[in-house]
Amino acid sequence: MSAFAAVIRKDLRLELRGGQSILALLAMSMLVLVVLVFALDAARIRSADTAAGALWVAMVFSGIVGATRALGAERENGAIRGLLLSPLDPATLYAAKLAAAFIFMAVAEAGAVILMVLFFNLEFNASLVRLAPVLMLGALGFSALATLLSAATGHTRAGDMILPVLAVPMFTPALIAGVKASTAALSGASLGSMSDWLKIMIAFDVLFITAGYLLFEHVVGED
Amino acid sequence: MEHFGYLFAAYSIIFAVIFIYVMFLRRRQAALDAELARLEARLGALAEKSGAGNSAPPADSPPQL
Amino acid sequence: MDTATRDYLTPDPLPSVSQTRGKGNNRGSWFGFATLALMIAALFMIFDYVPTEIDEGIVQRIFYFHVPCAWVAFAAFGLVAVAGMLYLWLGDQIWDDLGYAGAETGMIFCTLMLVSGSLWARPIWGVWWTWDSRLTTTFILWLMYCGYLMIRASADDTPQIARFAAVVGIVAALDVPIVIVSVRLWRTIHPAVLVTKQGGHGLQDPRMIATLLVSLAAMTALWGWLLMIRFAQLRTRTRLNTVAMQIEFAHAAAGDQRPIG
Repeated sequence: MSAFAAVIRKDLRLELRGGQSILALLAMSMLVLVVLVFALDAARIRSADTAAGALWVAMVFSGIVGATRALGAERENGAIRGLLLSPLDPATLYAAKLAAAFIFMAVAEAGAVILMVLFFNLEFNASLVRLAPVLMLGALGFSALATLLSAATGHTRAGDMILPVLAVPMFTPALIAGVKASTAALSGASLGSMSDWLKIMIAFDVLFITAGYLLFEHVVGED
Repeated sequence: MEHFGYLFAAYSIIFAVIFIYVMFLRRRQAALDAELARLEARLGALAEKSGAGNSAPPADSPPQL
Repeated sequence: MDTATRDYLTPDPLPSVSQTRGKGNNRGSWFGFATLALMIAALFMIFDYVPTEIDEGIVQRIFYFHVPCAWVAFAAFGLVAVAGMLYLWLGDQIWDDLGYAGAETGMIFCTLMLVSGSLWARPIWGVWWTWDSRLTTTFILWLMYCGYLMIRASADDTPQIARFAAVVGIVAALDVPIVIVSVRLWRTIHPAVLVTKQGGHGLQDPRMIATLLVSLAAMTALWGWLLMIRFAQLRTRTRLNTVAMQIEFAHAAAGDQRPIG
């Protein structure tokens, strides 16, 4: 089996054996959504704008929490050294970590969408099908970004804070485009009408996946 | 001249920030100079210890104040 | 002690104090004076030469420093990215020092752009801040600067941190065009309540353009001057660190039990 598949399988297997990553993402999403229900008084409105916005807030913050933990488990047991000493090249390692992070985030987002529909008074209808590709693009972009940045989080004295400070401004284009496209999707618009936003998200994903693939070797290392 | 206060504030802040940054640079410079002096002292001690042959004297003259 | 060992143990000569004031001290002074001259010329043009804008009054003169600050902030960010690339590619510490100096100086001008923008917005539009496309983009740039400087300030100066900073600088700079496009699209489709005139600037009078260009030159020169000073300082610091290490090594080899530091 290729090294790429092996690393992904390892991460997925760890998760299935009680890894808690997806659970943490889901929990954080739900908590953020609850806070926003009260903060925005969503109980008395039914609006695609608000729901989409809340969903993306939940996504960003749960993503940050998830990313901080992502390398945490490996760092704890010094398993990073093992990975680095293996013949696995850093770029492939990056791709594998990215894939695993994306899968976790995608699963958690599915759960978050359900919560969003319930909390923000929406319908379970075809609009969610149009929403799915938008969220997938967003999750992919965020995973690419976070995987690259979290690799070096442990080296700085600022610790956990460095990841959100870096990730949030860098993620802004995908966030803006994602919320706009999500709002359009939930309002019943076609995918064609939001093509500008989708193009931005695709460009973002391409940029960060490529950059991560090329630059990961420079940031990965032991503490 | 309406809104003169804002104009004045904007330019004052710009110059104040630049000035403060230059002060900061000067303070860093002083710290570097102190460190330099300390290292030269260590170097001197090293030269004495190992004897004249083993350490090259600094290529420039001693620091001028 | 054989020659090879002795050479290795001999520390590099320390930079003399005059050298630490900036390589090529004369070059630095000339540049400083040139900056000062440009600044004075710019200020004269801003406050005496250029006519007052019709709609906004004298507050509009903030514009002549506000825009050059933005230009410098973005240019500095580009410098940080290029220096980062060179550092990762060539491995020479000099590029890391250049990147750090660029980020620090760039941050100053980015902050000044935001502050001057706010002081301009308040009398004209009545609010301290508006999310128009230019201010928003610059604010995001400012946040990225914060992140970069946080990396550098919060950790010791290891090559690993330098590499991470270089990667962050590169990736952030690559992100900036996408940020610009997305923010502009964001504000076009849903314009801010207060649409500013910053697009196109509407400079009617050629004297305004001339003033802007001179201010741009003055601000760029100022940035260059500050950059030179800071860069030279960081170079000195790098050299001092190297020499300190060599001295410690030499002490240890000579059997000296003195503790490090």
